[in-house]
Amino acid sequence: MTASARKIIHVDCDAFYASVEMRDHPEWRDIALAIGGRPETRGVIATCNYLARQYGIHSAMASATALRLCPQLLIVRPDMARYRAASQQIHAIYQAFTERIEPLSLDEAYLDVSGVTLCQGSATRMATAIRTRIREEVGITASAGIAPNKFLAKVASDWNKPDGQFVVRPQDVAAFVAALPVARFFGVGKVTAARLKALGIHHGADLAAADPLLLTQEFGRFGERLHQLAHGIDKREVEPERDRKSVSVEETYARDLPDLAACRAELPELLAQLKSRISRAGEPPLRALVVKVKFADFSQTTVEHAASTLMLDAFGRLLETGYARGQGRAVRLLGLGVRLGNSDARQLEFEWEED
Amino acid sequence: MLILQAERDALLKPLLAVTGIVERRHTLPILSNVLIEKKAGVVSFLATDLEIQITTASPDSLPGEDFRLTTSAKKLQDILRAIPDSTVTLDSQDGGRLVLKAGKSRFNLQTLPADDFPFVAPNGAAESTFSLPQRDLKRLLSQVQFAMAVQDIRYYLNGLLLQTEGDQVRLVSTDGHRLAFAAASHDGDLPKTEVILPRKTILELYKLLQDSDELIQIELLNNQVRFSFGSTVIISKVVDGKFPDYNRVIPLDNDRLFLIERLTFLHALQRAAILANEKFRGVRLVLKNGAMSILCTNSEQEEAEEELEIAYDGGDLEIGFNINYLLDVLTNLPADTLQLAFGDAGRSALFTIPGNSNFKYIVMPMRI
Repeated sequence: MTASARKIIHVDCDAFYASVEMRDHPEWRDIALAIGGRPETRGVIATCNYLARQYGIHSAMASATALRLCPQLLIVRPDMARYRAASQQIHAIYQAFTERIEPLSLDEAYLDVSGVTLCQGSATRMATAIRTRIREEVGITASAGIAPNKFLAKVASDWNKPDGQFVVRPQDVAAFVAALPVARFFGVGKVTAARLKALGIHHGADLAAADPLLLTQEFGRFGERLHQLAHGIDKREVEPERDRKSVSVEETYARDLPDLAACRAELPELLAQLKSRISRAGEPPLRALVVKVKFADFSQTTVEHAASTLMLDAFGRLLETGYARGQGRAVRLLGLGVRLGNSDARQLEFEWEED
Repeated sequence: MLILQAERDALLKPLLAVTGIVERRHTLPILSNVLIEKKAGVVSFLATDLEIQITTASPDSLPGEDFRLTTSAKKLQDILRAIPDSTVTLDSQDGGRLVLKAGKSRFNLQTLPADDFPFVAPNGAAESTFSLPQRDLKRLLSQVQFAMAVQDIRYYLNGLLLQTEGDQVRLVSTDGHRLAFAAASHDGDLPKTEVILPRKTILELYKLLQDSDELIQIELLNNQVRFSFGSTVIISKVVDGKFPDYNRVIPLDNDRLFLIERLTFLHALQRAAILANEKFRGVRLVLKNGAMSILCTNSEQEEAEEELEIAYDGGDLEIGFNINYLLDVLTNLPADTLQLAFGDAGRSALFTIPGNSNFKYIVMPMRI
């Protein structure tokens, strides 16, 4: 490709699961609706419609909390089969525009439309066309961001959400990033945002002006990356066959697990689930084992260790470490996962592990 | 008050024997120190990291009164190394200061009370005791220690299995990819007992063993092992855990066999390794009747190929390995000729010494 700027579109469906439900149940269109688990089983909200959001409800919130905020909220169980079908329809629409599609989830994808000649080569008009077809053919709305890189495309798709789009043209990148609050930067959560603020860094312009050495000292490699993003630089390619980097399973328990022994007792079940996920992923080589523990107060921790095989006793020891960090707090959620290694070469192991 | 006067080497040598285990930075400051004790003319040095404890005594009997003190192991070692080999004096001064003088040099060091020094307490009577020449143990260790795991999550692999049965002592180490087994006879007649010794203990012991006929006594205590040799005593905790059953991974039906000269094979691998992939370290062995090719390719697509003539008629086989696992065993074996036994490309290979059942090395292949 030439050195001219790339054209990346980030498409993000609006309240995807809820939109599919409202499409299929018109009677739910004008009420507060959430998709998620039941409050009595410690369920969590996966998505909610925009009406529900007005009550302060958001994804990953406990269903019980959501009901306290909005007692008339209708919570329905997710129906993944219908969501997947809608996702496939949307994917087919993307394919009419480009082969370079990187799906991030069922309802979100990056498209690289650099060099595509449709719509006279205008990425903005392609994004409009994609959104129109999604509305007409799938019956839900989507928002889009158009920018020279993935980072800005993703920020832009949120700009006029729902059912809108926003373009960051190459010549506008510098001004756009300069005015961007740090919390909008990829990878910056509450904690990092607070640390940045403590350093007097509030907007992209502050980040761009910050000493890269200081950022690296404070945030390691992530600091270096932030500095690059603040200069509008994000070289990540749209990767059509997104390599899986990890596989994991987790379970939120109907009753908090009171102690380590109770947590340990859940490991075999989780390990069995994990094994089946890994085999569905084609038995990729493993690089590390990970245990995630979420405590009753919603604080969470993960512990990992390099390993190339699944081992119950190894997960047990990671759990011990993770559990200890809760200083006796009860456990709400346990997760087991693996980080995947490179498949170029694979050292075989002796087979004496427990099964 | 002058408490000690000795030649530098009479202090430095025993000090160096114990300081290998001292952790530079420890939450307990006194663990950075060495305990120096003089009793009935014998000066002894003791260091510990709470897992291992090493004591050794100065060879000569020295005049003067008894004393006990602790001071920084690292600083004392650095000072003794840096000064010329001459007479050294130690003065104990008020305020817990220790003054070391040699020639025109003078060092004023901090001390911590010897009574605060944590000992690894001997734990119960010995369950098994046996002795063998230091040289024999050193040789055994050299044949297996390289296969110990390093910081594996299976903590019991970060060490060495020591097993006794009758007059046999067996050492086994594995990192899950390869396993080394070495056995020797000793003077005892023991019940079957096994312990896992921590990696650090093994590396330290190996360093301190002499290539001599002098005996080392090994006592297996409850949760501890004590090694006594020369004027040195090492007490080590053992690793609590279940070592995998090594018999289960020894292949019995590998029927593609041949003998090979160790150095010929080693040198060919060393040459090929120059172009082995930096990350995966893969090597492909291609067997054909009468010949073995050794092939390495790196990420820049550079290639090395070696061909060895071998007395082999087991048919074609192509099998990959981590080349380091092959270099390790070939470097550390004291035999001129080895027997290699392969099954198929997905199964382990067995390395043995012809006519000697006291050594086995099993290595799993790598799919390249």
